[in-house]
Amino acid sequence: MGNLNGILSLASQALLADQGALQVTSNNIANANTPGYSREVPVFEEAPSTDEGGVEYGEGMTLAQVNGIRDEVVELGLQQSLQQQGQINSNLQSLTQVESLFNEAQGAGLQAPLSQFFNSLQNLSTNPTDLSLRQSVLSAAQTLASAFNQASAGLSQVQSGLNQSIPQAVTEINQLTGQIAELNGQIASDEGVGTNPSQLIDQRDQLIEQLSGLVGVNNIKASDGSVSLTTTSGALLVAGEESYALSTGPTPSGNQDVFSQGQDVSSGLTGGTLGGYLQTLNQGVMPAENSLDNLAANIVSAVNAQQQSGYDLNGNAGTSLFTPLSGTSNAGAAAEMSVVMSDPSQIAASSDGTSGNNGNALALANIENQSLAGLGGQSVMGYYSNFVTGIGTQVQQATNQQTAQDLVVQQLQNQKASVSGVSLDEESANLIQYQTAYAASARVVGVISQIAQLAISLGSSS
Amino acid sequence: MRVVPSELYTNLIADLQTDRHNENQAVIEASSGQSVNTLSDNPLAAGQLVLNRAQMADVDQFSYSVSSVQGSMNSADSALNSVVNSLTQAVSVGTEAAGGTLSSPELQALAQQVSQIEQQVVGLANTTYQGNYLFSGSAVTTQAYTLDISTGAVTYNGNDDSNQVQVGEGESMAINLPGSTIFNASGADVFQSLAGLTTAINSGDTTSIGTAIASIQSALNNVIAQRSIYGVRLQELGADSTNLGQEKLTLQRNQTGLIGADEAQVATNLSQAEVTLQAAIAAASQVSQESLLNYLK
Repeated sequence: MGNLNGILSLASQALLADQGALQVTSNNIANANTPGYSREVPVFEEAPSTDEGGVEYGEGMTLAQVNGIRDEVVELGLQQSLQQQGQINSNLQSLTQVESLFNEAQGAGLQAPLSQFFNSLQNLSTNPTDLSLRQSVLSAAQTLASAFNQASAGLSQVQSGLNQSIPQAVTEINQLTGQIAELNGQIASDEGVGTNPSQLIDQRDQLIEQLSGLVGVNNIKASDGSVSLTTTSGALLVAGEESYALSTGPTPSGNQDVFSQGQDVSSGLTGGTLGGYLQTLNQGVMPAENSLDNLAANIVSAVNAQQQSGYDLNGNAGTSLFTPLSGTSNAGAAAEMSVVMSDPSQIAASSDGTSGNNGNALALANIENQSLAGLGGQSVMGYYSNFVTGIGTQVQQATNQQTAQDLVVQQLQNQKASVSGVSLDEESANLIQYQTAYAASARVVGVISQIAQLAISLGSSS
Repeated sequence: MRVVPSELYTNLIADLQTDRHNENQAVIEASSGQSVNTLSDNPLAAGQLVLNRAQMADVDQFSYSVSSVQGSMNSADSALNSVVNSLTQAVSVGTEAAGGTLSSPELQALAQQVSQIEQQVVGLANTTYQGNYLFSGSAVTTQAYTLDISTGAVTYNGNDDSNQVQVGEGESMAINLPGSTIFNASGADVFQSLAGLTTAINSGDTTSIGTAIASIQSALNNVIAQRSIYGVRLQELGADSTNLGQEKLTLQRNQTGLIGADEAQVATNLSQAEVTLQAAIAAASQVSQESLLNYLK
């Protein structure tokens, strides 16, 4: 048999629960535009029934918990796609700088100075004793050398820019992993005492998304609600409340490598801006520098060798036109390329010592079309043409990847929003629903109060 | 499907950015007249462009070489023309001397004429073009012939080489004939035959004058034959020059084909990009600002 007090407490419990639900709804509405916010829903639970005289009475309901709505699979997918996006973006950005150094479509690059140099020799062959033609060979050689110097300096600039950015990215990564580890601790202790750490989880998800933009991470969730993060190469970043800082240091090549607890973890480190920097360095800038050095070195040695097999205007044996290569390797050849000759009469146009003979000038001019063993059997222009196509292809691939990856990220962000985002329509409907429920419970309290009044005055004289 | 407003805005911004990018690309193509403005627009075309441009530079150089060779050959040709005239004149002087009935002073005067002709021919054999001797082989800075006035002996100081100049891809041409093959061919030596005629006229012996005339005649024939080589080469150079002009045009067309923008296509792309962009902007402005919240009283 029910009693009035029981009904009253049932109704007031419902009032509290509805108030709670209204608060959840208001909080959702307030956070409609907060980045990373996952909407929350109140979970009502039927109160356990009581048995009175063999009759089961329902005891109303309570607000059991407030749940954050999130899809962990979508969240993980989003983190991974952000890692790829970060890498593609930073790779593309640096590659575009390399591309602009050799943008033959706008007339920049080495084709013009290369043609100019070899054609100045071709021109000299028409009148090998003409000093002004000889002078223009020297000038063209200087132009060619400084074109190589500039291209090499441009590549070095991209390289040093990347090497400055790597430690900056690592600093940001360390800050984020520190914050994530701290949140891990708070979430684990909240979960331990049974309170809802939804906001903390939102914050941590946000930070992991930011971290994903910087570096590729593997994300493993523990039973206490904390997450462990490692780099794609397996270096530990966060375990529970502990974060492990990455550091950087120079390698013999002069590039910055990434270290974790004293170990070089650069190789295999992919994803995010940092992964992009490493990718551009190792697959874009360094190979381009090597190719450029190789081209410069082969031109220098072929031209010098041909010079030495001829005779200058005064019948003396030819000497080097370009400063001979310093070391055994070609490294630095483009940066160091320079003209050592200053007297135009020293150009060895003659092949037999007669001043008017042009045989060696022709031979020098024809280096342009010779297949050179050091260039893999390609000609100077053929090698450079392939170099240009190679750079263009890298940028084109990265651009295509970027377009595709942007769509993937957008898609996943939409999916995440569709699950976790706040819909004002939905919240408004909830608001009405909870308001109505609250009003109804309040009404019940009013009715019970009247009945109680009635009961109190039962049997009174008035 | 649950749709939340934030999704709508993210999509709108992404679409607007894509449309802006397309519009930008179309504007760049329209304003530069090139469909390839960076290497990545078309890496293969960019690589081909390098080779094409290098070839164009070579063709320009070949054209320049051709006109420079034409200059020196023309002046060699006209020098040899004068040599032919001088030798013809020597033949007629000799014929006059061979006629007999001439007094000794008259013969001496004719002999004097012949030796003047010889000096003239030596001068012509030493013709220079831009400071280079045309008939001293590759020793262009050495005077080709020296004349010893006392003995009348003419010595060749040049060599037997000739310079080759490239006048096209894999096409070379000898730009000079050494003086030795023009003036000192065996049995047709210009200077020996002229000296012989002078001696013969001075001697007054009509038989030896006749022999001397015959030897000048064969020297003259050799010079004419050698000059015709210049003629043939000059003709070839003329043809080369035309061909190089054609090749340049072809290469220019190739370049347009590689990186040039198709104007009709660009115009279409541009207007399409603009229409799409406008549509997206219009859509963005009409996204409903309303929600059920607005109707709660």
